[in-house]
Amino acid sequence: MSAVGTPVPIGRRSALVLGAASVAGLMMLVWPLLVQAEDGARVQPPFLFLVLLPVVLAVVVAELSEGGLDARALAVLGVLTAVNAVLRGMGAGVAGLELVFFLLILAGRVFGPGFGFVLGALSLFAGALLTAGVGPWLPYQMLVAAWVGLGAGLLPRRVLGRPVTGRWEIALLATYGVVAAYVYGLLLNLQGWPYLLGIGIPGVDGEGLMFVPGDPLHENLGRFLVYTLVTSTTSWDTGRAITTALAVVLLGPSVLVVLRRAARRARVVRA
Amino acid sequence: MIELRGITFTYDDAATPVLDRVDLEVEEGELVLVAGRTGVGKSTLLGVVPGLVPRFTGGTLGGDVLVDGTSIVDLPPRERAHLVGYVGQDPVAGFVTDTVEEELAYGMEQLGLAPTTMRRRVEETLDLLGIADLRARDLRALSGGQQQRVAIGAVLAAHPRLLVLDEPTSALDPTAAEEVLASLTRLVHDVGLSVLLAEHRLERVVPFADRTCLLTGDGRVRVGDTADVLREAPVVPPIVDLGRRLGWEPLPLTVRDARRRVRGLGLPAAPDAPVRTATAAGLTGRGVTVAHGRRAVVREVDVDLPSGIVTALMGRNGAGKSSLIWALQGSRKRYAGRVTVDGVDPAALSADERVRRVGLVPQTAADLLYLETVREECAAADAGARAEAGSCAALLATMVPGIDPEQHPRDLSEGQRLALVLAIVLVAEPPVLLLDEPTRGLDYPAKEALAVTLRRLADTGHAVLVASHDVEFVARVADRVVVMAEGEVVSAGPVRDVLAESPSFAPQVAKITGAGWLTVDEVVAAAGSAGESS
Amino acid sequence: MSGRATVARLPRELHPLAWWGWAVGLAGAASTTSNPYLQLLLVAVACIVVLARRTDHPWARVFHLYLAVGALIVVLRVLFRLLVGGAYGTRVLVDLPEIPLPDAVLGIQLLGPVTQEALLGGLYDGLRLATIVICVGAANALANPKRLMASMPAALYEVGTALVVAVNVMPQLAQSVRRVRAAQRLRPSPGGRARRWTSIRRVLVPVLEDALDRSLALAAGMDTRGYGRSGEATRAQRLRTGALMLGGMVGIGVGVYGVLDLTAPRWLALPMLALGVALAVAGMVASGRRVGRTRYRPAPWRWPEVVVVGTGIAVLAAFLVLRGSEPLVLEPDLLAAPVVSVAALAAALLGLVALLAPPPPGTDGGAR
Repeated sequence: MSAVGTPVPIGRRSALVLGAASVAGLMMLVWPLLVQAEDGARVQPPFLFLVLLPVVLAVVVAELSEGGLDARALAVLGVLTAVNAVLRGMGAGVAGLELVFFLLILAGRVFGPGFGFVLGALSLFAGALLTAGVGPWLPYQMLVAAWVGLGAGLLPRRVLGRPVTGRWEIALLATYGVVAAYVYGLLLNLQGWPYLLGIGIPGVDGEGLMFVPGDPLHENLGRFLVYTLVTSTTSWDTGRAITTALAVVLLGPSVLVVLRRAARRARVVRA
Repeated sequence: MIELRGITFTYDDAATPVLDRVDLEVEEGELVLVAGRTGVGKSTLLGVVPGLVPRFTGGTLGGDVLVDGTSIVDLPPRERAHLVGYVGQDPVAGFVTDTVEEELAYGMEQLGLAPTTMRRRVEETLDLLGIADLRARDLRALSGGQQQRVAIGAVLAAHPRLLVLDEPTSALDPTAAEEVLASLTRLVHDVGLSVLLAEHRLERVVPFADRTCLLTGDGRVRVGDTADVLREAPVVPPIVDLGRRLGWEPLPLTVRDARRRVRGLGLPAAPDAPVRTATAAGLTGRGVTVAHGRRAVVREVDVDLPSGIVTALMGRNGAGKSSLIWALQGSRKRYAGRVTVDGVDPAALSADERVRRVGLVPQTAADLLYLETVREECAAADAGARAEAGSCAALLATMVPGIDPEQHPRDLSEGQRLALVLAIVLVAEPPVLLLDEPTRGLDYPAKEALAVTLRRLADTGHAVLVASHDVEFVARVADRVVVMAEGEVVSAGPVRDVLAESPSFAPQVAKITGAGWLTVDEVVAAAGSAGESS
Repeated sequence: MSGRATVARLPRELHPLAWWGWAVGLAGAASTTSNPYLQLLLVAVACIVVLARRTDHPWARVFHLYLAVGALIVVLRVLFRLLVGGAYGTRVLVDLPEIPLPDAVLGIQLLGPVTQEALLGGLYDGLRLATIVICVGAANALANPKRLMASMPAALYEVGTALVVAVNVMPQLAQSVRRVRAAQRLRPSPGGRARRWTSIRRVLVPVLEDALDRSLALAAGMDTRGYGRSGEATRAQRLRTGALMLGGMVGIGVGVYGVLDLTAPRWLALPMLALGVALAVAGMVASGRRVGRTRYRPAPWRWPEVVVVGTGIAVLAAFLVLRGSEPLVLEPDLLAAPVVSVAALAAALLGLVALLAPPPPGTDGGAR
């Protein structure tokens, strides 16, 4: 061990596994856009994915911690997971008031992409345990939240040779927060759309908001966008985006200081 | 058995080493006490043994740590787990699991011991520390003394050669502290375990120490027989202070020894206390009752806090002291009863108005702080209280001069942080001030500074209530004492009478000389005059 | 029965993975059918077993929430069908007026004629999803999540510990929040704009500081007690683990594609998925090998566990068989009343065999 910048470093091998798993996970999320069917055949939603995704998640998380999470990273991870789970529990009663993302993004930024990924997945899991939210949707939520944390860790530290700090950093994180909030809503909706609305029969349906396998991509996509616009974008997703951005702008600076102090102390100094 | 050889350690941002060529050896079955002022590096020295220093702190370490002649200085803490057991200052923060039994097993699981061995050792450890009846209990629901014993048991189950304890009794009330120390002596005497422990409540542990390692403040240590080392130590318990000032040889370390010497002094009857008179009514509470659900935690308590007087509130942990304090301040709902300050009930006021009547410093004072620098904290306090800019900083400077205003409040020492919180509370100029366990984590000089501050506040007409189980501090600062048990007041009156009556709350001086005497100064003065007249 | 066999049935907490295996089997069975009677039967089976074998822990007491979510799913699904389902089916029950949306929205229309097919289709699909949710809820109510975390595969030990830490920290956090809120009221508040956010900040910052300070003490405690002590894997082992995991992920990815693209060769679908999962599991096992820890009083795996998991697998297998032999029972026609067969009823009721599991501790076994 020498001086390590991030508590959960991603090696080349982990990056490969993470990449392959993300592709597999993404396919399971956007499956309605990928499915190819013959006309007239009734397509069943792929319930199999509900069992498959936990396996994928488990492998990635095991791989990321394979180098051995050092005790400090683990303790910080545990504590932030708890805070996030509580924040999620607090927001659960109010539509769109999601504070999970804000701390997840800040922590991903400070502790790096690997940490962000694991924190995202664990936060949603612990939050579900806390709020009785364990359901078939949980693995999907965990995966997308993990990506949000990962992405926050991958945000550039320097732009045009200048380090991104202070106000610019907050602006960057807030913008990312808005994007992440919408993408999160969009991906989860896409996955759940056929489950909740039903699947049309190719060649028979064509006018509803339903997902119709085999229709051209743009038609299904169009229907999906209307569906998501009506059901979530105007309420949940926008609420989530606004809270996240506001929280990053108003609380971000002081929370970043707190996290950075912890990161400094949590660093391996010499061995 | 375990040996520190030429240990030198420098923190990253420090110019001089905090430990400078320290040599220390702990023998099999020996209890070695580490003493010294706060901030001289007691915790640092202890941390070197399990390897937390420098791995968790940063800094540069030189020298060697040997166990039975083998160097372990290059091993990380986890590879020393079977050799060194370490319990930090806050045992609750170190708990990984949630029940007593699982916590005892956690370390052994990490070492990969066989399940049958684990099972056996868990039972042995439960018996050894007398906590078998707690085995299935939730760790967070235990009392402080029980938690401390579980924490010791949790490292003990891995059968280390040496136990390292950082302030094991500081946060405990006198009775709980005795439980823990009794367990420790059993381990040293019966099992032959070696113990290295730091403690600033020296009066509690000195009788048990085989040897003492004194950190002198310049990075060096003096190791030797406890009596010899304490003869010149800057921080000593009252008993040693008395012995030193009266020139007793050999220096007594236990109450029993000292009592024998005192008999020869021919002390006169205890002096009458100089009685301070109250200048105004301050705060009055009548029939104050606080309920937690259906359970009364404070039951019909009458309390008077006159201006100009420091009142101490004592009692076991869980006796209802904190509940009473919060109810008097008005933040916590009363079930019944009346509280008046200047003819107003603080509970009827808004939070902002309330802090102008009654100031409260809670047990974890740092909870009040949320900004990044001392300067910002002070400015926010001034703005909130609509006080002149700089008032808070000025108050702080009179209590603890020389704090860098750009420092992070969390980086201050315990004493400095307490002073900062006190300054923030005092900016609103409340005539009544309540403090809940302010002496926790303070060493003798910091306690002395706090005592001076509280006395000055009383002399300028404040009514002060301080809850504490630090008997020596109460004896030094208070005029009156109220003792609580089970939510009720069991005795109240002038400090001299109340402390003398109670065996568990009597200060060491009173234990040695009998009722009436409270401080070393009084006894030394009386002994001096007795010596002259005879 | 021999002594050992009966001892296994004395009140105790069943291995949490056994309950999950059973529930996943039931959920899998539910996913193979759209027959509402069978769905309701499966829900009934789950409810009976939950009522008989749940503990009085907090997570077990929220089972009714899952039933509520299930009902909500059914209602939503039917409403959606009616609202935006579009013209579908032939037997019109009610002819509601159509409300066309502006052309910009793909010419979608709201309401319109309500057909029996649309109504029943929505109902059946909703029921199926609801049953799956309720099965997961049953597992959640029956399996102790704390023991589940303790039974994580060795490769997930680290994150399992992080979760244990998180769960243990939560009550402290709640306490910390209460303490800090009370404490913040002890200093004059600065006021000014954005008071609400300032007040969140005044609580969040001290709570976070406190929690992170604690985490460092916790890390020190864990490290000095030997956490992470287990040996490093050799280069060859690491290579093998990595290859297995990567292979597994690629396999699953290709398999998912194969499942979705019905025109792709079939060997790319399920066989590929199975291979991927097998590789991934092998990778996890290999990765867990490096761990030299032991477990104190591990949750035992005895015959009741086998029976419970076996029950779940048996239900799933029975439904898969029925799909071939009685397709009309499992996928009823939307124009006729659904029918059930004795075999299908028996398959669903098979799930009740899980009642052979020992009752949870603290009860007298429900003997009376």
